[in-house]
Amino acid sequence: MALEIRNVNKTYMMGTEEVRALQDVSVSIKENEYVAIMGPSGSGKSTMMNVLGCLDTPTSGEYHLGGQDVSQMNDDQLADVRNQQIGFVFQTFNLIPRANVFHNVELPLVYGGVRPSEREKMAESAIEKVGLTDRKSHKPTELSGGQRQRVAIARALVNKPSIILADEPTGNLDSTTGEEIMAILDDLHKVGNTIILVTHEKSIAEHAHRIIRLKDGRVESDITTARANGAANGVN
Amino acid sequence: MKALYDTAESLKIALAAIKANKSRGVLTTLGIVIGIMAVVTTMTAANGLGNTFRESISALGSDVLYVSRRPWVISGNFFEFRNRKNVELKEAEKLDRYLANAVAINPTTNTNKNVKYRSSTLEAITIIGTTDKHMMVSASVPESGRFLTAFDVQFKRPVCVIGSEIKERLFEHVDPVNKRMKIGRTSYRVIGVMEKQGSAGFFGGPNFDRQIFVPITAFMKSFGGHNRDFSIAVKAPPNIALADFEYEVTGEMRKIRKLRPTEGDDFSINQMNQLVGAYNKVMGVIVIIGLVITGISLFVGGIGVMNIMFVSVTERTREIGIRKAIGARKRAILSQFLFESSAICLIGGGLGLLLAFGVAALISKFLMPASVSLPIVVVAMCVSVLTGVLSGFIPALKASKLNPIDALRYE
Repeated sequence: MALEIRNVNKTYMMGTEEVRALQDVSVSIKENEYVAIMGPSGSGKSTMMNVLGCLDTPTSGEYHLGGQDVSQMNDDQLADVRNQQIGFVFQTFNLIPRANVFHNVELPLVYGGVRPSEREKMAESAIEKVGLTDRKSHKPTELSGGQRQRVAIARALVNKPSIILADEPTGNLDSTTGEEIMAILDDLHKVGNTIILVTHEKSIAEHAHRIIRLKDGRVESDITTARANGAANGVN
Repeated sequence: MKALYDTAESLKIALAAIKANKSRGVLTTLGIVIGIMAVVTTMTAANGLGNTFRESISALGSDVLYVSRRPWVISGNFFEFRNRKNVELKEAEKLDRYLANAVAINPTTNTNKNVKYRSSTLEAITIIGTTDKHMMVSASVPESGRFLTAFDVQFKRPVCVIGSEIKERLFEHVDPVNKRMKIGRTSYRVIGVMEKQGSAGFFGGPNFDRQIFVPITAFMKSFGGHNRDFSIAVKAPPNIALADFEYEVTGEMRKIRKLRPTEGDDFSINQMNQLVGAYNKVMGVIVIIGLVITGISLFVGGIGVMNIMFVSVTERTREIGIRKAIGARKRAILSQFLFESSAICLIGGGLGLLLAFGVAALISKFLMPASVSLPIVVVAMCVSVLTGVLSGFIPALKASKLNPIDALRYE
């Protein structure tokens, strides 16, 4: 599913100062693209991520997600869009500490109103995809960082969302584990998922096929990487 | 369907949250426990008092009218009644002649005397002069021995039937039947002991266990018959409404007293219901005051729950953010916290009820029969849940309105 933001501005007040986090940003991302959003801190990439993830609405501009105008939606409609269309992978994992792996993965389906029998099947399959079947009744605190991030990925893809949004997914992991996580994301891309990666690490961004650089709330550059060409060649 | 799964999830979270914070939960619940216990105990005690009262005045008989000088429950000008003339014995005899359909007519009069058996004395006991008809107008019966007979009345025999309290206090372990005792200065022989009535005495009502019945003829011989005020009990026939019968009795009494149509009644017709009415009026006020006071303790308990729910919401701000990010709607978050506060209050209510059962058992043992009835249980549970919903609502609303970005960022 494609998404497009057009002339998006986001301003908010920080104390008495008006911060223009996004200025006139227009980006269009096609289905099954693998995009990295890069930029130094304060460049607006978190805001961009929040807007793309429907956690926040733009001050002005349009956001179309698979033909729906998201920028006009109310809180509950946005919640439904997040539930159905978007899978989040956060830097800090953001798992629910009291719930075990299975329940964490199952949760989007609960809020999506999926029948319990169906839920179990879908959650089991998502957990299997990240290789944690033998850990499914563990609590997050009983898992390593890499395992936690894999749980988060399982949760992100359990609802078969259009987009997986990963915000610094390796930020809290050592480089080896980080690579493992990136390998999973690469695999998800290969099977047809759209992946948007927010990062400030070049080595991570290089997994993507397109890199959008932000600076001071504007798109500084938008390039297709060598890897994309390689992948395209591979397909051909 | 979606709402159902949300609800199941909310319940799961609520129980897990309570389990995770046991000691905090116990302290929070305590307020509700005490509040519910107080409310339930108040209602139970009121019920118990009501039952005791009704039971103790049942001796008066629900289909019996009492013609007397003054109303039992005086409202208005006391002096209006004070100057009325006495009800006389001959008026009872006339009423007996005129009211052909009455089941029984029984005149009584009473006085207070000290009574004595051997060396023990009881002071100011109600001595009632009555006839054998007493058995027909009253529900109470002798527990041992017999009641007065027409023969006793006709021949002014100095015999008496004593109330259960007289037996206990004056005779203690001795069987009183056939013993001689002194009422005032006259010697009477005990021929029977009345069954225990239970006391309405603590409402200022009559204590039917602290009475002694003697033949009305013997009464007048011993204590004087001049200028005495009588009360005439008239038992209504079964096929007539008490109000209609009261109208009939009033008419006959007016005839006997030769009242002109313009004159008001110079006597009163009393019945058990008047006492019940007066009791309900007084008790109604007491119960409302009791419920307000105990309700305040429940309210304070509710504030405790609200407080802890605010803590719970703040503590789980991040979790709320996560749930919202993955698609929980406002209502799902709202119900999560409402379930938590309701569950806390329901548990507290349950414990409060258990304690109230214990208190009721103690009351039954030492004070009066009292038991927690099913409607009270249902009301208590509903009140518990209501308290939970009310005290959880504002914190839950706060949680549901959290902005997911801010909530996720919360440390």
